[in-house]
Amino acid sequence: MKKLTPYLLVSPYVLHFAVFVAFPVVFSIVLTFHRWNIISPMEYIGLSNYERLLHDRLFWQAVWNTVRFLLVHIPLQIVVALGLAELLNRTVRGASFFRGAFFLPVIVSGVVVTILWQQLLGFNAGLINRMLTGLHLPRVAWLDDPTIAMYSIAMMATWKNVGLYVILFLVGLQSVPEQYYEAADLEGATAWQKFRYITLPIINPTLFTVVVLSTISGFSLFIEPYIMTEGGPLNSTLSAVMYIYKQAFQYYHMGYSATLGFCFALLILFVVIIQRRYVEQES
Amino acid sequence: MRQLLVLLFLFVISCQSRELKKTRELVFWCSNNGGEIQFAKEFAERWQRTRPDKPLRYQPIPEGQSSEEIILASVVGKTTPDIYANMWQGSVELYAKAGVLVPLDTIADFRSFIRARCDSAMIREITSSDGHIYQVPWKVNPIMTLCNTRELTPNTATGPPYDYSGYLRAGQHVQTRDANGYVNRWLGYTEVKAIWYQRLFNFYPLYLAASNGAPLLTQQPGQPPKAAFNNAAAVQVFRFLQTLYRNNYFARERLSATRDPFINQRIVTQFTGPWQLSYLDKFGGANLRYAFYPMPVPDGYKGPIYTYGDPKNIVIFNTCPDPVAAWAFVRTLVDKPGDLRLMELTGQFPRRQQLDTDPYFTPFLAKNPRMAPLARQTRYIRGVDNSEVIVEVFDIISQEYEACVIFGKKTPEAAIADAARAVDVLLMTE
Repeated sequence: MKKLTPYLLVSPYVLHFAVFVAFPVVFSIVLTFHRWNIISPMEYIGLSNYERLLHDRLFWQAVWNTVRFLLVHIPLQIVVALGLAELLNRTVRGASFFRGAFFLPVIVSGVVVTILWQQLLGFNAGLINRMLTGLHLPRVAWLDDPTIAMYSIAMMATWKNVGLYVILFLVGLQSVPEQYYEAADLEGATAWQKFRYITLPIINPTLFTVVVLSTISGFSLFIEPYIMTEGGPLNSTLSAVMYIYKQAFQYYHMGYSATLGFCFALLILFVVIIQRRYVEQES
Repeated sequence: MRQLLVLLFLFVISCQSRELKKTRELVFWCSNNGGEIQFAKEFAERWQRTRPDKPLRYQPIPEGQSSEEIILASVVGKTTPDIYANMWQGSVELYAKAGVLVPLDTIADFRSFIRARCDSAMIREITSSDGHIYQVPWKVNPIMTLCNTRELTPNTATGPPYDYSGYLRAGQHVQTRDANGYVNRWLGYTEVKAIWYQRLFNFYPLYLAASNGAPLLTQQPGQPPKAAFNNAAAVQVFRFLQTLYRNNYFARERLSATRDPFINQRIVTQFTGPWQLSYLDKFGGANLRYAFYPMPVPDGYKGPIYTYGDPKNIVIFNTCPDPVAAWAFVRTLVDKPGDLRLMELTGQFPRRQQLDTDPYFTPFLAKNPRMAPLARQTRYIRGVDNSEVIVEVFDIISQEYEACVIFGKKTPEAAIADAARAVDVLLMTE
């Protein structure tokens, strides 16, 4: 019995892992070699799904859309979060109120936030365009123009998530010893020099965490385009995850969808490894 | 000896459960709107009175994002009802190929029933690629042009019924702009998003109207199916819609997210179905005057004007323990009294021949004159092609629709040709 006890103690986790992680992962990999529409029996088709993926222009467009989103979202998120954290790090009145206010969108349901922004960004009736009209400025087709729709979504996603990264940066900034700044002041360093040569190297691990978290959450972009634009206009906001979802639950191409998911997961892994190596080198 | 006893016990148990399965009550899923629940309740109760030996329970389809998703989930989970009324015609082929539906034409009197109810074109439309029929044509909601007749006086230069030129003239007539120069009143609105099913309410009915009810797909014996819509009718429809958007006669913005634009009179026409009648009666207000007209057709078009009928049919799943009894129940839903009750309770139309002239139904239509044009239209309706990948076909058309009609990135000819080519590739690989 004594020998069995450790196994019994870890068995709930092992069982959970086997059922909800290991089995789905293995099953997904098996699925990539099959054609399956859920209701008919699976049909083995070898590497056909992988071959199809290579020629699927819409998937590569969806990947590119996701990358476009990340290219705007990550720098914007870092700059805004770091800027706000820097402000909150100073002794400002009502700092705890602002901390709470910036964090509030993070805990509000993504669907609610998205619907709210959909109303704000409407062309005719949207509040933002009404304000522009009031200022005698032309209205902007925030979500209806294929050249800017993804950037509108990136802006919205930044607003939604920035609070979390503000907190992370704030923790990082508070770990910078005050004496370093005092010494820099004596040497006559400018604000930029202090930031570049003191703050940035010290908060580098936090920066790496923020970049990795933003990258992973950005790659899984789904709710915002699904609700706001359904991938349009002209597929300009179709994210890779949304395309995978469409293949699975709109066309019931489970095998192909699993193939897309598997390859996309490898792509994310690849990007995160590169980021890690880069940051390690910088450190 | 002990092993023998165990085996005997298991045998008795299995016989009992098989017997129980055979005598269990039939389960009938109906749609979950008030009218159809009432319809199902009445007919289930009547069935119980006349056939107490075959118990039957009705149940509204469980809540979900769409009934298609619920049905799929129930098929996967093997929790399907025995009878389901409200199956979209485009889904039937998928389930038929998966072998989860009862081929109704194998039941004794089904063939004679279907010949009495449907014409040959309708029978062709519901026959699956394996030659069997898995669905009972039940109800339709023809898509027509709803017009604000106070703004657009019928039979005038800008009034209905419309050919393309007349409709565009009406667009110019009703369009207004606000102080900043933005259009604030349009001829019409139809969902601009490239979601496949939205094409069932704009491109597809216009295509059927322009093409005398032509199919989207065709198949020669022994060949894979091919796209059949790379033709003048489809090009004309794309060009017509493109002109509507280019001239701002149709709104590009999502008006569906705001207060109902037809009631609000920000638009004066809409491509829609009979469900709009009860809604407008309730919320339209005293000042709104409206009527249904056929879909606009190309200039000089002669012949019947077809449209999409949005057919919903009845199927029996192969988990049903007694398909013959299930069919006997279904027959009570689709005989003349059943069809009349459907109209009375739901405002939807049965899919049967000569509905508008059959003396059994004409008194009801005379009492409900707003429904009469829709009833007349039921003579000229089509469902969708029987194809397992019909959703993808509409999705491909939607992609080209958005590029050409909404954003003018392609000519109608190029968009239709590209869509047809993509559909051919899809059909070849499936």
